[in-house]
Amino acid sequence: MAGKGAATPATYSPSLTTVKGKKKPPIFADDANWVRSDGRHFHQCRPAFLRTNAVNSASGSAYAEFGNTKVIVSVFGPRESKKAMMYSDVGRLNCNVSYTTFATVHRNQGSDSKELSSMLYKALEGAIILESFPKTTVDVFALVLESGGSDLPVIISCASLALADAGILLYDLVAAVSVSCLGKNLVIDPILEEESHQDGSFMISCMPSRNEISQLTLTGEWSTPKISEAMELCLDACSKLAKIMRSSLREPLSASEE
Amino acid sequence: MEIDRGDGRKPNQLRPVACSRGILNRAHGSASWSQGETKVLAAVYGPKAGTKKNENPEKACFEVIWKPKTGQIGKPEKECEMILKRTLQSICLLNVHPNTTTSIIIQVVNDDGGLLPCAINVACAALVDAGIPLKHLAVAICCSLAKNGRVLLDPNKSEEQNMKGFVYLAFPNSIQSVLPEGSLQVGGEPVEHGIITSVTHGAMSVDDYLLCLQRGRAACEKLSVFIRSSLK
Amino acid sequence: MAAASGSDLSSEMEVDAFRRLFPLHFHERHLLKSIRPDGRTLGKARDTIISLGAVTSANGSALTKIGCTTMLAAIKLEVMTPTVESPDEGCIAIDFHMPPICSPIVRPGRPADAAPVVAKQLSDTILRQLRYLWKNSGMIDLKELSLVSGKAAWMAYLDIYCLDADGSLFDAALLSAVAAFSHLQIPVVSLNDEGRIVLVSEDNGGGKLEKEPVNKEKRKLNLATIPFSLTCVLHKNYILADPTAEEESIMETLVTVVLDSSSQLVSLYKPGGPVLAHTSAIQDCVALTRQRLKELQKILNEAISDMEVD
Repeated sequence: MAGKGAATPATYSPSLTTVKGKKKPPIFADDANWVRSDGRHFHQCRPAFLRTNAVNSASGSAYAEFGNTKVIVSVFGPRESKKAMMYSDVGRLNCNVSYTTFATVHRNQGSDSKELSSMLYKALEGAIILESFPKTTVDVFALVLESGGSDLPVIISCASLALADAGILLYDLVAAVSVSCLGKNLVIDPILEEESHQDGSFMISCMPSRNEISQLTLTGEWSTPKISEAMELCLDACSKLAKIMRSSLREPLSASEE
Repeated sequence: MEIDRGDGRKPNQLRPVACSRGILNRAHGSASWSQGETKVLAAVYGPKAGTKKNENPEKACFEVIWKPKTGQIGKPEKECEMILKRTLQSICLLNVHPNTTTSIIIQVVNDDGGLLPCAINVACAALVDAGIPLKHLAVAICCSLAKNGRVLLDPNKSEEQNMKGFVYLAFPNSIQSVLPEGSLQVGGEPVEHGIITSVTHGAMSVDDYLLCLQRGRAACEKLSVFIRSSLK
Repeated sequence: MAAASGSDLSSEMEVDAFRRLFPLHFHERHLLKSIRPDGRTLGKARDTIISLGAVTSANGSALTKIGCTTMLAAIKLEVMTPTVESPDEGCIAIDFHMPPICSPIVRPGRPADAAPVVAKQLSDTILRQLRYLWKNSGMIDLKELSLVSGKAAWMAYLDIYCLDADGSLFDAALLSAVAAFSHLQIPVVSLNDEGRIVLVSEDNGGGKLEKEPVNKEKRKLNLATIPFSLTCVLHKNYILADPTAEEESIMETLVTVVLDSSSQLVSLYKPGGPVLAHTSAIQDCVALTRQRLKELQKILNEAISDMEVD
């Protein structure tokens, strides 16, 4: 199909027949009575499914599924740094995030992976004991199989789990949670639809047992009380998520002991 | 035999074959090969020191660069590179020059069917010209299967498109050795009947494939005589 | 020499160290006993799992595992204007990706060497390029992808991701592609006033449709013949079915046989390799593939019927 492939006709994915001018979905309603499309409470996270050892050929790996958000992270190393790299007495961390072509509703529209990669790097950097592997590099590669909202926090949590699975020394697991501001309401762990209508977003990645925050991002317009409310929500959710992560790390161990 | 080919050839008849060596003076070895309207050039550089990443440094390493007649290289060319590289690796003595890389550049001059077999043949001739140690040569041929189940050898492009399927095959050349006859047999078959490379396109029955194999071997024996004489 | 010293050392060395230092010798010792390091017999393929519908954002998807080799295939349908030469045919674009997560060899920014080769093999097998006279010889009748003759047709983007590379990549990729096509559901669509194709949502389909839908009901594609493949490693006189990545790297001669459900030979692929394939070896590989075809057919049918029950 080489000849045909070159002249691939422009394609589009058919959109839904929604009559224009119809009242918008209740997500825009500014009252406190609307229900989230997946029936969750505002302050309820999606059920998290975490599993380590997803990729056999990697040193460590993890798979995370939060609703429709599905992410695989592989960790390779510590291994030889690139030849061009200068000597370094602390280890290097290299992060890369990519999307599958079918991850999003429209083909090939995955978010900017460069930005996500650097965000992932910054969230994990502080949690890894880089002094433990001088001269070498740890590669953290993430692939978003399906994007269903709150991609970055899921990637970060999944990546820290994969690092732990690879036996990289960490100060603590990094758990990340985001909150969207929709009108007056704060919704935690937003899905794609909610994210696209949000007025502002807030994300925290933290190390719950050390009570330290490794990354905090804030976009949109926020009032100070809103921020502290969001912060409390996130920190609470992070500590719960970290417990789930910890138990998923123990699972394979207890299974092998039996 | 009934003649049913566009250019009046018999089913077992190849297109006129020509081969010349040492056509480029800057390359360490070079050759050109033409079969009817299909023409391919090959240049060999090396062995150069060092192997590429992810290659075994205890053995000689090969690198094939495929230059199409026009345009950029795409997936089909990448596949040809891979097949050619593995084919050449299997006929070379890899332990003679460990930790070296030999580059083979294939330039397609004109494609009129049977491109990959021509490329294998020209690459072999160029390796011989460059003096790279080889176990034996690889002799390649294209066999095609017409709709009536008949095997036609060395089809040109317009024939290829009307076929049920076709097979690219590469065999070792017939070895002239001092050893007694039959000592080089594998499971009742002479060594030169073993397939080095096989690539098929289109569906066929297994029996059809074996028929192609048989015709291909016969043609390759003749072709190997030709290559031997032209490389002397 | 390495082999000789290896046999001397084998009694005084740990198994793992022996495996790393003398990989060829390690495997040959297993072969002598007609068994492989993972406990399989020579002709046995690894356990195979197919699960359909793994990706909700795609129109058809499948996850397959052959041993540790994992593939995720998904098909997304988009609308295109068909070419003038074939106004009532759709199109299928196949791509194979090896993201850096799948293997320590692949690094971001530098695509793996194997990826374009597997992609080409896949599209050759599924589409069969020889369509000039023998139309519809491939697995899918492209006419089934037509919507409005000359105006609109489906373009099926099939993307296969290798999530874990542990040998026999083509076999796993082909299986996941076939499974994704058997899971593919073509949605109900209609033509709107501007000449664009739009989806008809199921809930407002009660009765007041302004336009007759072009594609009346959700339907599945008819798969004419389904290709299945088996890769074998040739080493000396041994034939090892479904090699792992380790076996592939140590014993380099690979033969991939593709047979379709009507027992036609779709492809016999042997790209070089130090071992020559003689007729008997070819016939053995074909026989192994015949066996494997039955296994795979059963696994695929079970996966499909499980899906229909749900």
